[in-house]
Amino acid sequence: MNSMSLPASLLRCAVAAALAALPAVAQDLLAVKASRIVPVSGPVVDDGVVLIQNGRITKVGKQSEVEIPWAAKVIDATGKTVMPTWVVAHSQGGVRNFNENMQNVPWLTVADAIDPAAVYFEDCLRNGVGAVHVMPGNQTLLAGQGMVVRPFGRTVEDMTIAANTGMKMSLASGGGGGRLQQIRRLRRAITDVREYLADFDRRKGEFEKEQAAGAIPADKKWTEEIDRTKKGAVDLVQKKAKGWLYVPSFAEMDEALRLAQDLDLQIVLGSNIDEAVGLVKKLGKPVVLDDAIEYFETDEETQKEKRFCTAKLLADAGVPFALTLGLGGPTSYPWWQLGACVRNGIARDKAIEALTMVPAQLLGLGDQIGSLGEGKLGNLQILTGDPLQATTWVETVVLEGQVVYERSKDPRLQYLFEAEKAKASKAAGPERKETEKKESDKKDGAEPAKAEPAKAEGGKQDAPKSGGDGREVR
Amino acid sequence: MRALLPSTLLALAATLPAQDLLVRAKTVVVAPDTVLTDGRFLVRDGKVAYVGSDVPADAAAKATVVDCGDAVVVPGFVLAPTTLGRDGDLAEGALPFTPDLRAAEAFDPWQDELAKLPRAGFTAAVLAPSPRNLAGGLGALVKPGATGGRVATADLHLALSLTAAARNPERPPTSLMGGVDLLRSAFAQAKSAAAAGPDVAVLRDVLQGGRKVAIAADTLVELQAALDLARDFGFEPVLVGARDADKALPRLVAQRAAVVLAPLAPEMRRAQLELPARFAEAGVPFCFSGNPEQTRLSAVLAVRHGLDRQTAWAALGRATATMFGAAGQVGALRQGCAADFAVWSGDPLDLGSSLRAVYVDGARVHGGQPSAAAPAASSSSTAAGGR
Amino acid sequence: MHRSLPLAAALALAALLPAQDGVTAYRNARILPGGAPAIANGTLVVGGGKVLAVGGADTPVPDGATVVDCAGKTITPGLIDASFRAGNTPDMNENGAEVTPHLRVLDSLDPDDPSFVRARSAGVTTVHVMPGSRSVIGGLGVVLKTHAADPQAMVVKNDASLRIVMGSEPSMGNRAIRGGSVDSIYYRRPTTRMGVVWAARKAFFDAKEAMEQSVGAPGAPPSPGMEVLARVLRGQLTAVTTARSEQDLRTALRLATEFGYRTVIDDAQDAHMLVGELKAAGTTVMLGAPSATAVAGSAASDGADPRSATVRLLADAGVPFVITTGSNLAALDLVREAMFAARNGLDAARALDAVTIAPAKLLGIDQRTGSLQKGKDADFVIWSTDPLDPAAAAASVHIDGIAVQVIR
Repeated sequence: MNSMSLPASLLRCAVAAALAALPAVAQDLLAVKASRIVPVSGPVVDDGVVLIQNGRITKVGKQSEVEIPWAAKVIDATGKTVMPTWVVAHSQGGVRNFNENMQNVPWLTVADAIDPAAVYFEDCLRNGVGAVHVMPGNQTLLAGQGMVVRPFGRTVEDMTIAANTGMKMSLASGGGGGRLQQIRRLRRAITDVREYLADFDRRKGEFEKEQAAGAIPADKKWTEEIDRTKKGAVDLVQKKAKGWLYVPSFAEMDEALRLAQDLDLQIVLGSNIDEAVGLVKKLGKPVVLDDAIEYFETDEETQKEKRFCTAKLLADAGVPFALTLGLGGPTSYPWWQLGACVRNGIARDKAIEALTMVPAQLLGLGDQIGSLGEGKLGNLQILTGDPLQATTWVETVVLEGQVVYERSKDPRLQYLFEAEKAKASKAAGPERKETEKKESDKKDGAEPAKAEPAKAEGGKQDAPKSGGDGREVR
Repeated sequence: MRALLPSTLLALAATLPAQDLLVRAKTVVVAPDTVLTDGRFLVRDGKVAYVGSDVPADAAAKATVVDCGDAVVVPGFVLAPTTLGRDGDLAEGALPFTPDLRAAEAFDPWQDELAKLPRAGFTAAVLAPSPRNLAGGLGALVKPGATGGRVATADLHLALSLTAAARNPERPPTSLMGGVDLLRSAFAQAKSAAAAGPDVAVLRDVLQGGRKVAIAADTLVELQAALDLARDFGFEPVLVGARDADKALPRLVAQRAAVVLAPLAPEMRRAQLELPARFAEAGVPFCFSGNPEQTRLSAVLAVRHGLDRQTAWAALGRATATMFGAAGQVGALRQGCAADFAVWSGDPLDLGSSLRAVYVDGARVHGGQPSAAAPAASSSSTAAGGR
Repeated sequence: MHRSLPLAAALALAALLPAQDGVTAYRNARILPGGAPAIANGTLVVGGGKVLAVGGADTPVPDGATVVDCAGKTITPGLIDASFRAGNTPDMNENGAEVTPHLRVLDSLDPDDPSFVRARSAGVTTVHVMPGSRSVIGGLGVVLKTHAADPQAMVVKNDASLRIVMGSEPSMGNRAIRGGSVDSIYYRRPTTRMGVVWAARKAFFDAKEAMEQSVGAPGAPPSPGMEVLARVLRGQLTAVTTARSEQDLRTALRLATEFGYRTVIDDAQDAHMLVGELKAAGTTVMLGAPSATAVAGSAASDGADPRSATVRLLADAGVPFVITTGSNLAALDLVREAMFAARNGLDAARALDAVTIAPAKLLGIDQRTGSLQKGKDADFVIWSTDPLDPAAAAASVHIDGIAVQVIR
């Protein structure tokens, strides 16, 4: 069988089965020993241990100082690094069609659309992500509620960390028309809600007045409730719920500030914001960044290109920010995003916080996730090396004290990295006649290469050798 | 006599021996480098017969005087390669390589754009095949006139194009490399002894130095391709459009190329606006293209960005005529040139100057009679300007 | 006496000076010379646009040289992208015919193409550009530096390769117009994979025939296209065949065997499926964008089954390969592609070689560039840290000794 046609669904089943088998190893008491523990909330602990009991972290300290209970299941990650799992503050992952065609749909919620079997959640675990704030897409107006989930579980309920996290709003013109059109539409939508609310209150007031005047029997109750389809939007305008406003570029920032005067807004910034950093600062709140944090601009006069990094612009302006991860491509890797920050001049620790503590606090979950603090959820990842290196891989992910991912059992990685014997032996297949003369050469090449995923690790970077040897290049 | 049509009358009038005109003005620009103060020139049979102190006294005495007073008389401007609004007639769609097509044969003496030329001080235009063809054909020098336009010179120059416009997805070549290859092999064929059809004959004229070549090219790579072609086959090209000409300046100088610049506009980048001044400094001949108003505005903007007036005047006519091989005919008021001139209230490079009258071949085609004075008294003349 | 300068000041100076004058010594850098062991505390001396010396801390620095302190920095040779995408697509593809071996991509390449600026900002100093992939035999490739004082001096090697494309791209969108004749200019062939191969085979068949006839028979010279194909058949010109899926890879090898020419395979995404054949045929493989073989990602149109393992399998089997970006739209900077290769199991030194000395050898320009060796062009990059670190950025890029502008 040609493996290029290996059905994706089959693979997914394999992964799901493998993951489902994992919870069996969960125990009440877990101790993770590692050469390096990066709690994020405090200093790095060398030769440390993390204790997790009933899903919560009870202790982080040096192995020499912390006693590991005899009943604990111990994971020995000597030579490895332990960190909190990453927190993604804004994403459309795990939802197939995240932009509803209808623009103004405040009654929707991503809870109805999240697919627990989505490959996205597998990738989250591979990348050490422990919490994702899933929201509707950016091509929307009032798009509905988001929720924070962990990328593990068979049902949305299993996965839920926090539901109804706020209303997604966007200033990107998804419904056609230009920027001004979109601003007008959004203002209109919010005004409509206010008018509805005013009308509701007026009618309720009249009812009470008439009741007080005796026109309505005293025992009759006001039964009308806020329209179910408007409830989310009403909460938004009453500041009972947060709005998550996507601001695609500097040009919309003015309007975002205006909206922020009356609403409890969390800004999600697109790119091309160099002209508006001052405005973002005026907002006085941390912001969430798109996954694309680098962009180019051409100077009209000199025709020279310039590179900008949104994270660096904000860091320079003193605005706290949360990083996010893309749904594919390089920005889906945490190490890539952090590396991009560092190469643009942001301190390592600041970059790491922007994918752990800052998003956790933004989501109101600062006391639950985002660092290895005592009392927080027992979420951690074991890495083969430095979290900012491309050659580092996530070895194990623990969520709430359960091992939910092990690289050595990841079927998709095995598929991508292992040389299949059948495939390699095909080399001696139908083309034999034409290459017969070189049969002896071929044997060497056709020998199936051994594939041990562990071999794919980095750590060899500082051991350069002469690579030209034995390689004939024409 | 009532039955005689006006046009017949005009035709009759044209065949009569016309009287000489003596044109006088405070300032007469004979050519950009020759300006006469209180100057005069004699027009005979539609041509400039004598200039300044060369005008014989007896001829002057007999001539009708056109006294322009304090006005500035300049040679009529020459519009750089243009289709005069007749793109459809001047771009052969089905074939990319048609060097032997003749723009003169698509010329309509009554076309609107031609008739409008005098209103902006233009008295001639280089009618050229559209740059939508790799080898569009042969251009012509055309002139407006009171009784319809005429072709002054047919088969003036060969128009080639390497711009994006010449690459048509519906017929080869669709790419620049394809176009370059086609032109290169056509020239190679013309160079070889093997005989060929009329199209190759046109290229052979170029190789033998008998015909100017204008190549439309915008980007640096297109300009390089044009210059390579000129270098390899030994001709001095006129480059049309030349958006990136500043980046190829050393080669332009080395290969004695001339440039027809796209019209300037105030909102352009500084580097583009300053390009004419840089060309002048480097000694690259250039003129501007565009419609008449754009062409004049371009010269004004170039002056504003450092170009000297003399070169700016040249860019409106003299340089154009020279680079297309019509210097003996138009663009100057020297002896033997056509009596094509415009009477301006001041320097045409000042936007405040207004156009009073325009003459083509000694006949007024626009504006009013400057004055109807009696035969002339003598006037002094000075050669000014110089190099 | 040496003038000693901090890096930033030295770079500002280098940009101002007509760079080839004077000698500059870059000291205290970690130097990865390419094809040779790393030098921990290295010195690189350049002058006159050439490398004058490479060595350890004890390398003598000539008197009067400007000394630049590169402590903490890593110096590598300028990167070489053996399959680089440049130019605007319509001009890179001549659709007038499906076989145009004599067309030169150089004629369509604007020296001002913005892709060159981005490439050199990312440390790429030399690129191999081929015609687009819409023709079966598109024409001749060229090797260029990404910067030169005079645009014409960018050319390192003209007529460096002949591009052949297998697979669906040359036939994509082609069709006969209803009611039209095959002579119509609106009719573009081929329309199938079979047709693509047929067009290539016919071209080589005709070329072979023309070669045989022209032996000892003076007459009309062969057409320029046939002459190019004859050079491939005589082994004087490298054929580069773009073949992504397994079937196309096999076809590419079969065609080369059939006519007895050698070919490099470009963008061999399914190379892991026939490592043995590639090894046996002695074919060099250009791996386009190893990043596109990411876990859940997929690659270009014909890329049937990109595998993260491919790069390591080729390395283990001893199949010569280089890493490139050109054929994959989603490709990252070349150095990042090498980084992904390292992530997927390739030894770091080999990953770097695959974007420096290996492509230089493949393109036949290793006498000039590709590694830091005395006498070669002073094409090098000073990186802020190890170039395979995601946090690395090109602090400065030098081509022929000239510090070129880096986008910041």
